[in-house]
Amino acid sequence: MQMPTAQPDPTQPSYPTDTPVDFVIIGSGIAGGSVARELTRNGFSVVLLEQGRRVGPADMEHDELGAFMWPRWTNDPALSPQTYKKGPEAKVESRNFAQYARAVGGTTLHFTGNFWRFRPIDFHEASKRGVPAGSTLADWPITYEELEPYYTAVEYAVGVSGEANDDPREPMRSKPYPLPPLNAHGPGVLLEVGAKKLGWSSKAAPMAILSREYKGRQPCHNCGFCLAFPCEWGAKSGANWTMVPEALASGKCELRPNSYVRKIETDAAGRATGVVYFDKDKREIVQKAKAVVLCANGAETPRLLLNSKSNRFPDGLANSSGMVGKNLMPNGNVSSTAEFEHEVAAHKGPVVTRITQEPYELDPKLNLIGGGGFDFRMSVPALMWTLGMPDDGPMWGAGFKQRMRPWFNNSIEALGHTTSLPSATNGVTIDPELKDAWGVPAIRVTYKEHEHDMRLFKHFQGLGRELLTAAGAKKVHTGELQDAPGSAVHLLGTARMGNDPKTSVVDKYHRAHDVKNLFIVDGSSFVTSGRGQPTMTINALAFRAADHIADFARKGEI
Amino acid sequence: MQDSEQVGTTVSRREFVAGVAALSAVWLVAGTACAREGGLPSDTAKLVHLTPDQATQVDAITARILPSDDGTPGAKEAGVTSFIDQMLNGFAKEQAPLFTEGLASLSAAVTKAHGASATFASLTTAQQDAMLTSIEKTPFFGAIRFATLAGFLSLPKYGGNKDYVGWKFIGQELAMEHKAPFGWYDRPENQQALLGRVL
Repeated sequence: MQMPTAQPDPTQPSYPTDTPVDFVIIGSGIAGGSVARELTRNGFSVVLLEQGRRVGPADMEHDELGAFMWPRWTNDPALSPQTYKKGPEAKVESRNFAQYARAVGGTTLHFTGNFWRFRPIDFHEASKRGVPAGSTLADWPITYEELEPYYTAVEYAVGVSGEANDDPREPMRSKPYPLPPLNAHGPGVLLEVGAKKLGWSSKAAPMAILSREYKGRQPCHNCGFCLAFPCEWGAKSGANWTMVPEALASGKCELRPNSYVRKIETDAAGRATGVVYFDKDKREIVQKAKAVVLCANGAETPRLLLNSKSNRFPDGLANSSGMVGKNLMPNGNVSSTAEFEHEVAAHKGPVVTRITQEPYELDPKLNLIGGGGFDFRMSVPALMWTLGMPDDGPMWGAGFKQRMRPWFNNSIEALGHTTSLPSATNGVTIDPELKDAWGVPAIRVTYKEHEHDMRLFKHFQGLGRELLTAAGAKKVHTGELQDAPGSAVHLLGTARMGNDPKTSVVDKYHRAHDVKNLFIVDGSSFVTSGRGQPTMTINALAFRAADHIADFARKGEI
Repeated sequence: MQDSEQVGTTVSRREFVAGVAALSAVWLVAGTACAREGGLPSDTAKLVHLTPDQATQVDAITARILPSDDGTPGAKEAGVTSFIDQMLNGFAKEQAPLFTEGLASLSAAVTKAHGASATFASLTTAQQDAMLTSIEKTPFFGAIRFATLAGFLSLPKYGGNKDYVGWKFIGQELAMEHKAPFGWYDRPENQQALLGRVL
């Protein structure tokens, strides 16, 4: 099969800016792209604004320096600087803590493709387990059962590869996966070996990577440059290959890349009237809309709300609760590495093929809320992986060189994915002084791990060691656990969903409590962080939200 | 790194980058605005940043970090000096003072230990290794080690990894697709032996 050379685009409509479109959607990632797909399929007119550019095949090369060292399509600290504080009392640092792809497709442009569903416990853990001191843990206003049809719809829309099993702890599913699992690669086989030895459950990873041709897109060709790279083949089902092209295919969606929204405008009645954005030449454009759907990610969404303050909304738009920006949850990632006797070749194939979710819920005696799962993988390509070689042998010279090839070919990482607890002191605010290259007040992130999460990480570090050892590793290398990550890509919880307008930003249909025609749909809607893989749930929430929004629009309830 | 998972973000990534954290930050900042055109020849007459003396010194240092004594390609064969020369004039401009000072201070240490006419390149490999061991905890050594690996393993368009010798050495293939089985563990007969089934 031939590699796709470009994404074919149908002719797009060209909507006038001064006549309200049905919806303006801010952000073309998995949330905005999905809402655009669903609303246009329901016949509504949509302007889809994306602050970044459209990354094309010419950008898709196997360039590790380009992908990791430079913000080639991620938020660029030189243009979009942020400040950071490790806790409310800490000093302010210059640091881009919140990382995301600034491109059509959002972060799914270059993600791993883990498409775990949440389980019922993720929606009601607070009432089942209680709320630890210092945390704002709460129940979702929806249940797993309410979201289940949308999980299934997403699986069939994007083509998720996976395998249903008979583990009673697995959540109910109404349909099998549309595609068989990806073939197990070396790390996947080793994970299964470790799990088998420990008596843990394990399974094919549910992945948004095609195992077979699906909807005219090709299956994974196992090139190995996956995480942090866009997929040339179109096999990794980011919004750039799925939701956005399907929205455009409706003929009702106008995609405007390089369109950076700085404010949501409101009228005297407190309704949103449209958005103000900069085009690629930094000209200010006002796009009028009957309703606004904000899908800019868990850092940019609260920033835009806080930057949209007005006389009527002096603390920021949709922020009468004071919860905008609070409760940021990045998920925990706990890593251990080990070298094995034979060649694993973890640098070929998808990043992840098999997982264990055995520690999804933990023994109550451990007094740990949340949990997670593990996969075995090589997270980064040759240079980064070599830089990560443990220092228990020569680090340069002939001895080091001898270690390079076995390290690259025979070693893997056990990566544990965990819960983050929400906390009112962690979150996104506006830096009082710093502005970005467009003159827009910049993001400040305040984040420090909750003491509880540090204990959870420690527990997972032990489990990772056990799993690698059971898989046959002679020596396991673990790093020191830090009380805050250097940066985060899972940006969750900063405009949480809830029934009570005093403690949440949006209602169960993603409508802002304070602004009737403003909907907020992305990782910011999350009440809990789940167990480390949020993208599938963002996607399902977006499908569900769009379903309700379309219904409201048809009934004249917007 | 970019996911987990989290690209650029995780405990795991922090571990990977721990040794070069400061450096990575420099690279991130340095990389954005600078020219990245590659393809400069390794001919020292075409140097864009290093002086010929510095280039000779860099060549000798990097050849000890990734030597070719064992008959396999090392820093020299990969053109690492050319990579470093270009990076100091390009995406890693901000590291230029670190390299200038580090090379000067190493030269001074060499003449102090081996006499006024000695240069790093003129030393025996054993003497060179001893000199490098004495500076291996310095930021300069960290930077040149990182640059050596980067010049060995990044795309040739950045000036190093000539003819992909670094990739070939480590086992990274220039391929748009791979066919399973990829390694030993995913071979069906080994899966069968390890798991009693083939996944």
